[in-house]
Amino acid sequence: MPPPPDSKAVFLNIPYDQEFHDLYIAYIVGLYQLGLVPHLASEIPGGARRLDRIVQLIQSCRYSIHDLSRVELSTAPSAAPRFNMPLELGMTITWEILSPDQHTWFVFESEPYRLQRSASDLNGTDPYIHNSTPEGVLRELCNCFLPDRTESVPRMLEVYRFVNGLRDAILRRKGTRNPFDRSVFEELCWVSFGITEALRVTESEKR
Amino acid sequence: MRKQVQITAPWPTREEVATHLRISKAREKELQVFVDEFLARFSKREEQPANSEKRRKSASAA
Repeated sequence: MPPPPDSKAVFLNIPYDQEFHDLYIAYIVGLYQLGLVPHLASEIPGGARRLDRIVQLIQSCRYSIHDLSRVELSTAPSAAPRFNMPLELGMTITWEILSPDQHTWFVFESEPYRLQRSASDLNGTDPYIHNSTPEGVLRELCNCFLPDRTESVPRMLEVYRFVNGLRDAILRRKGTRNPFDRSVFEELCWVSFGITEALRVTESEKR
Repeated sequence: MRKQVQITAPWPTREEVATHLRISKAREKELQVFVDEFLARFSKREEQPANSEKRRKSASAA
């Protein structure tokens, strides 16, 4: 058996594409604002045993979010369905069945009722619908994770807008255009955490 | 019925997050500038309604 999972860790199973950049940052900001810590497969170094390492990452996280909002084929001539997210959801479901006290997973979607068509085996699982907006992601994170204090979605959105505004500066510094790169992810996480922590201190001083 | 979970874990500490993210101390300092910038904007905006309330009260008292 693997060691017990980190009770704050959330594995993010999301599409790594350009249209998803804003929602990706919303997930990072939102999870930190709820006192949780996001994890991505891009944290894992490359190598032949990538799948094993993804399983290890899932097992090390108490929660996971599987965003199935990109099920459509792209318009490229060699368009292919994107199986990585359903594959990782399948592995996670198996892990939860084997160790129900160790893991809880959530499905996020952009459109209501589409999951019934795209993955009918999941009927009975009600996804969280974010409508492909950062505000929707933040709202739905607050709906599935209940913190010990009420989080305000407008406040979360304000932090999101600020962090999203830093994205280009961080990308330039890292010499990449890919915000899913590990080093960019780490800096987006650090700023999100830093702001969250500073706001908590400010609020506790007011009381 | 959608699943919901109550978060019971303590808030992550700076040390925990720093260890996970492997950010260097030098870069931590650089990124702190962004955090300070957000806080400055945030506190400035928070002060505005408080100041206008004070002005309203003093005007009505006069």
